Amino acid sequence: MDLLKQVMEQPLDPDYAVLARRGEGSSRHRVLLAVVLVALGALLAVAVLQNTRTAGARATERSELIDRIQDQSARQDQLRTELENRQEEVRRLRESILGTKEDKDLQVELDRLDLLAATVPVKGPGIVVTVDDSPGDTSKGRVMDVDLQQLVNGLWQSGAEAIAINGHRLSARSAIRGAGSAITVNYRSLSRPYRVEAIGDPNTLQSRYIETAGGIWWSSLAQNYGMRHDIAAASELNLPADAGVGLRHARKGS
Amino acid sequence: MIPILGLVLGIVLGIVLEPGLPQFLQPYLPIAIVAALDALFGALRAYLEGTFTDRVFIVSFFSNVLIAALIVFIGDQIGVGSQLSTGVVVVLGIRIFTNAAAIRRALLHA
Repeated sequence: MDLLKQVMEQPLDPDYAVLARRGEGSSRHRVLLAVVLVALGALLAVAVLQNTRTAGARATERSELIDRIQDQSARQDQLRTELENRQEEVRRLRESILGTKEDKDLQVELDRLDLLAATVPVKGPGIVVTVDDSPGDTSKGRVMDVDLQQLVNGLWQSGAEAIAINGHRLSARSAIRGAGSAITVNYRSLSRPYRVEAIGDPNTLQSRYIETAGGIWWSSLAQNYGMRHDIAAASELNLPADAGVGLRHARKGS
Repeated sequence: MIPILGLVLGIVLGIVLEPGLPQFLQPYLPIAIVAALDALFGALRAYLEGTFTDRVFIVSFFSNVLIAALIVFIGDQIGVGSQLSTGVVVVLGIRIFTNAAAIRRALLHA
């Protein structure tokens, strides 16, 4: 605190008072004084000029970077679509090659695994849970990634067999993350409202979900913050496949 | 008179000649300016209080600029450059404001 006190109470160099008391004249070094002042003025002018000159360059750089980011995002989407197409092709070729009885069993097994691993589209009955931010108070009534995580947890707990959020299928490697003010699933940003589709037993899925921790969490959010939490049954849901990121280190175990 | 003329002459020369600073000194220019402004305001206040000596102004100008630039330079080397720069700017800013308040009081009362 001493430093702050000293800075605030003694802003003037105490040497001024000391030398004044000693009675030294104030114009002993006129030339040097003039030189220093010219240097100060020049320094100021140079700094201001540089700042205004580079402002334009910085703005251009920024917009260029933004363009590059958008280009790369578009390319990423393109690559993802291509990946999905190739995987579909691989599956078709596989089916056409496998012909004998053994192969048929293999095919059935592969189909089952594909379904579980979320690499093929699925359809079936289930429920659709639509959630959204509260219409009024947006600071406390925003849907966060934890809220979606709780919701999805509750659905898995109540026996859901496949879940998709806004058309993005959840697989074993899907993460629901918050990035800035957006929520991302499978590294893709979601936009409101969030539509969570779950395939499962239509008779029990809804009632079991409401009693899970996720269902209770969302009931209290809807009650206390006015956030939207609508549950509707659906007779046929079509969930897309998840192109996935593949496995690099995990190998078949024993 | 000389100080004002000197300052104006310096600004005009800076705009007209546009001297270039060596590349490695560029990041320290803003801090040097703030330090120089602090010395300038101190000199102005001393002048209004009647205790101005050009020797003290010259010494404080150079020492302020050098020390401020040195602190930020060392901060850059150890990795806290922006934080130290903020600290220096805060302290110098407080001094400039306090001196400016005293100048205002001296000018408007006298």
